[in-house]
Amino acid sequence: MNRQLRNALKGITAPDAERRRRAMEPFVRATFESFIRYLYRYLGNEVECEDVLEDVYADIWESPERLCSVASERELLKTVYLYYMRKRLREVYRRINRHLYLSQKDLKNLIAPDLSILEVMSRTELQQALRRALVRLKARERRAIELWMEGMSSRAIANELKTTVGAVKMLKFRTILKLKKMLNEYCHEG
Amino acid sequence: MTDTNRKIQELLIDYAAALRDGCVPIFLKSLTRQEGQMIASSSEFWDAADIVRILNDVGFADKAVTADVGLFASRVDANVVSRLKKAKTSSRGKRSTGAKSITKTQKNEKPI
Repeated sequence: MNRQLRNALKGITAPDAERRRRAMEPFVRATFESFIRYLYRYLGNEVECEDVLEDVYADIWESPERLCSVASERELLKTVYLYYMRKRLREVYRRINRHLYLSQKDLKNLIAPDLSILEVMSRTELQQALRRALVRLKARERRAIELWMEGMSSRAIANELKTTVGAVKMLKFRTILKLKKMLNEYCHEG
Repeated sequence: MTDTNRKIQELLIDYAAALRDGCVPIFLKSLTRQEGQMIASSSEFWDAADIVRILNDVGFADKAVTADVGLFASRVDANVVSRLKKAKTSSRGKRSTGAKSITKTQKNEKPI
């Protein structure tokens, strides 16, 4: 953990509320990027991410006890997700849940799931593991994922690969499952 | 996402597209009862959803990192200040209602 973040954490866990308020700005500066990226993983929308994160920081200010014994950046992210972000993430779509055919439990698992091994990996580790996994895929599978990551729709990918939309959807689904298996193997090797 | 009775692979791809395009609520609202049940019972969907989220982070999360962190920090500060005020008002309210009840009892007491 770098010095700036360590000092910010010290301030944010102080018993005095006014001191915690003053320490909030350096804490936000030190953690904003990693927190917002993490939230984006579940919401995919920058406006919603900012709204949720604002409440997360205010919750941290209000009850910072959980952060007192944090020793590393990874532990910080994990603790903040488990004790502060998850609660807020679950509230994001609670209002529309009345009109949904997805049960409350499934909605929670989709929007704010339990942490798997993959989800506690750092961004750099994930990028490295994904790169390794992508190389091991067949050329057509890799191309489908790459085109999707470029922002293409299934129809556009089908045109590019000269196949049907249904075949592209099936190909992506199978490839994603294959990636999951490869990443799990990577975790166990690690 | 207008299809009805989508298969599990179509549901996953639609979820992935919704996450990428920032419109998860639209995907959630598009689900039929049957599709909701299919999602609940498919372990493949949940496995794939893990990877979709990771791809979303690695591929697109840069969009969410705003240049002006200072502005965001001031938003957080405003939120904290409003919570501080709320806490002060509620504690003052409690005190004042306590005082009122004392005066009420004083008024109601009959002089000896």
